[in-house]
Amino acid sequence: MWMKVREIGQGVHHSEVVVEIKTMGGVERIVLDKRAIKNGEIEVGNPLAMRDHGQLLVELPREAMSGAARVWVKQDSLARRQSEARAA
Amino acid sequence: MILTDREIRIALAEGLITIDPPPDAAVAFTSTAVDLTLDPAIMVFKGNVAGIDIVIDPGAPGYNSEETLRQLTDPKTIPAAGYRLEPGVLTLGWTQEYVKLKNSTRLAARVEGRSSLARWGVGIHVTAPTIHAGFSGPIQLEMINHGNRPLLLRPGMRICQLILEMSLGTPEKGYSGQYLEQSKEPSSTRRRRRPRAKKAA
Repeated sequence: MWMKVREIGQGVHHSEVVVEIKTMGGVERIVLDKRAIKNGEIEVGNPLAMRDHGQLLVELPREAMSGAARVWVKQDSLARRQSEARAA
Repeated sequence: MILTDREIRIALAEGLITIDPPPDAAVAFTSTAVDLTLDPAIMVFKGNVAGIDIVIDPGAPGYNSEETLRQLTDPKTIPAAGYRLEPGVLTLGWTQEYVKLKNSTRLAARVEGRSSLARWGVGIHVTAPTIHAGFSGPIQLEMINHGNRPLLLRPGMRICQLILEMSLGTPEKGYSGQYLEQSKEPSSTRRRRRPRAKKAA
């Protein structure tokens, strides 16, 4: 699955960018490799759990600045790529 | 289980792990690891200034680690002649190699130091060596010289080793999206599904 992110700045290494993601607990900031972002989205694998109101638990590709690794997000912030849909 | 040199090569060939540029097949491998090299870009922490007390608060609202790092470090590029890693100065570095572990892989990795540098007191990470499935990018190194003599860092030198381990099973995020399918059902019929066990033959 792919999750929408918003780039907010450069990382301290030329390969890195800082992105924000919206979670149910607030905004999380993550430092990521530029190549990990495709069309404003990052790959997060498949959701780990679901709770009411369409909230899904996902694991971030890297630890967020807050230290969070798994976060609850709204279902509509995730999308499946065509290649994944064919594989499912 | 730790992957041997042979198994690491197979994992690379099958695309379970990416290392770019690819390691030198002849000399970059040891029996159970692959060496990675140092990128010229480093960030050197500034020394304390008398009368100024700076405290890092990662829990502060709006905290941005990268902005904080920019305030507290000096970016440098290691020249070909080398950079003196002075004792006691925390310095951030990166591997030259881009490393990627697939989400669906049964592999995790650890970045560890090399004995040739450890004998001079140089460590290359601070208690965070684990590379999880799904990681991609150059690996950040937290280098510190615990010895009593400066050590010369050169761009491209062998700085660390990557140890690949096979996990017991695939991580949950590597399985098919069972929860997405559930969310399409009416809530009254929704229940947690578990992967079906295969029937014994």
